[in-house]
Amino acid sequence: MSPAARGWKERSEVRSLYLLAAFLVAAYALPFVVGIQAGTVRFDERWLANLVSVVLGGFMQGGVYAMFAVGLTMIFGVMRIINAAHGEMVMMGAYLTWVAFFFLGVDPLLSLALTLPVAFLFGVAVQRLLLDSVVGQPELTALLITFGLGLVMIYTAELLFTTDFRTIPYAPGTVQLTSTIAVGQNRVISFVMAVAITAAVYLFLKLHRLGKAVRATALNAEVAMVCGINVRRIYLITTGIAVALAVAGGALVSIQFGFNPETGVVYTLQAFAIIILGGRGHYMGALVGAVMLAVLESLVSLMIPNGTAMVELAAYGLMIFVLLIRPGGLMGVKEA
Amino acid sequence: MATRVVPGLGALVVLALLAGAPGAWADHRPDKTVLVGGAISQTGRYAEPAGRQVNAIKLWADEMNARGGLLGHKIELRLLDDRSDTQTSIKLYEKLITEDKVDVVLGPYSSGITEAVANVTERYKKPFIAYGASSTPIWEKGRKYIFNIVAPAEDYQKGALHLAKQIGVKTIAIIGEDSLFPRQAAKGAKDWAKKLGLEVVVDENYPLKQTDFTALLQKIKASGAEAVISNSYFADSAAQLRQMREQNLNFKLYSSTIGPALPGFPEQLGATAEYVLGFSQWEPLPQVLKLPGMKEFIDTYEKRFGEKPNYHAGGAYGALKVTEAAIKKAGTFDGEKLRDALATIEVQTAFGRYKVDSRGMNSHEGLTFQVLRGKRLVVWPEKWAQTKPELPAPEWSKR
Repeated sequence: MSPAARGWKERSEVRSLYLLAAFLVAAYALPFVVGIQAGTVRFDERWLANLVSVVLGGFMQGGVYAMFAVGLTMIFGVMRIINAAHGEMVMMGAYLTWVAFFFLGVDPLLSLALTLPVAFLFGVAVQRLLLDSVVGQPELTALLITFGLGLVMIYTAELLFTTDFRTIPYAPGTVQLTSTIAVGQNRVISFVMAVAITAAVYLFLKLHRLGKAVRATALNAEVAMVCGINVRRIYLITTGIAVALAVAGGALVSIQFGFNPETGVVYTLQAFAIIILGGRGHYMGALVGAVMLAVLESLVSLMIPNGTAMVELAAYGLMIFVLLIRPGGLMGVKEA
Repeated sequence: MATRVVPGLGALVVLALLAGAPGAWADHRPDKTVLVGGAISQTGRYAEPAGRQVNAIKLWADEMNARGGLLGHKIELRLLDDRSDTQTSIKLYEKLITEDKVDVVLGPYSSGITEAVANVTERYKKPFIAYGASSTPIWEKGRKYIFNIVAPAEDYQKGALHLAKQIGVKTIAIIGEDSLFPRQAAKGAKDWAKKLGLEVVVDENYPLKQTDFTALLQKIKASGAEAVISNSYFADSAAQLRQMREQNLNFKLYSSTIGPALPGFPEQLGATAEYVLGFSQWEPLPQVLKLPGMKEFIDTYEKRFGEKPNYHAGGAYGALKVTEAAIKKAGTFDGEKLRDALATIEVQTAFGRYKVDSRGMNSHEGLTFQVLRGKRLVVWPEKWAQTKPELPAPEWSKR
């Protein structure tokens, strides 16, 4: 590449960053503008307290979504496999927690000590029996096989638990931050758990020998293999951790929302939107993407009249425009 | 000789088919059976309520067969699974009617699917009672072969709004999922609010499968609404209640169309479900509703399926009892004659009175209950009330 061409490329890179920043400012300002027009935005003390509660709520929600999005992005980053059964693994986590709570009487947070190893082993089994044979195959093959796995999981859950909705009555109280700003107890618990677990995985990837091997494999599996990394073992660990993250996400879902065997699909879509926005295979991107989506949805819902009906429009609109400006996602690597 | 007979026979067959022989199908079955069939969601998002209707259908068929069948014919059930999908359901009904040649059609579950399937059954002149649908527009298109039995969507919030008026509420918020049934329920709620002089200060829909209602609830609180009328199912109403509690947002009254009526709602939500209002088409309370055959139905259902029938089961069972009475009155399985019988007959079943108007709509009256100390207790209308409503609901910190 000639120096001139490289210069041009860098300039366009910088330009696209400016464009992205300008777009994001516009996107997040839009609900305010519409709200002022419609008179729902008042800027008095009570309204500002509302705004803070809502943004805080969205932020914490984003933390939980990020947790299972990170699992999805790990599998994609390391193996280039799109795990269409990811939401079903979240659902599995919710049921495991529910069974532990109602039949064994175990606290939903303590039960993670029980469910996470189970989830890890399940992930290892899925890798050994299903995914191993499709690593390196066209992406569609893996997509189909995980889609099939998802269906099997849905119908197995229906067989075991029927399609009745379940939820766990846990920590329903409220945390009063100021006299006007309150957040839910279980939301704070979920957020703290999500941050703790994702941070632990992050540190593992950054510092531990095995974690470094996972990242090396994600960068280039062949070179990693040449360097003496047992790539198949890395794949097993990756899927194990990813499933554990999904199951942990499911535990947090079970104490916040209702779920039944079919709800997994929602979480698959959500996780997809998040990692596409944040940058496929990019770890921090999933965190940033999740929080950005959740906060934007909250703002639209709060300020625009009948805005709650438009949250999906806002979320996918954000995703599309970000991709138009940066095809690799917010934090994504430059793609050829 | 033979060559001349064959076309003659062919013409006869064609003639027989044209002359409405379908009515005689049942009598032509060698084993004297009557084929009763439909496509009802056994998997997918409607599997929960629809599954209870399947239970009631099986119960009815076995009961009939034990008593010698329908018009002396043994009932053979053919229940297919539409996987809660409209397109699949349409295909299955085409197949049931044209290939399997069912004699009596059973309805699908949900207003959306029923609306689509009604076009198929109408074309083949196959009447049925739509126990799975409650949206009035289905009956406003001049259809002749579909009959209503349950209370319409527009009436689901009627009791809650009357109770709101009673406790002096002036402003309400109406929210709901963005789909056919909740939108109809919202329309009815707005009409009732207008009649009762309640001001609607928030009127908002949310997408299917929305899970985070924090912002919407803050918006409702900021609008000054005193009561929340929520046209919701299980997951959304559960999330709304939880998030209200989390943020300590107090309202005098909260009512949901479907969620609280589903089994397990009070148990799964614990104290968060207390004081919530819900609607039910019917409750398994023979001592309150005093309907004929009710106790027997409830007992046999509970014995067989290990739980008391909910209103989905009750509605399906009632619809089948009406169909049974209409077939007896018509004396045949012929679609046209059965249709006339269903349009004119008046029957009391374990589900309530059945007598339709010119649109084919029954005037079934539902009831409003309140979750109190983990139980659903009827609080409206007064003639069926098991207890006095405990409203306005106390603040979250006192529940």
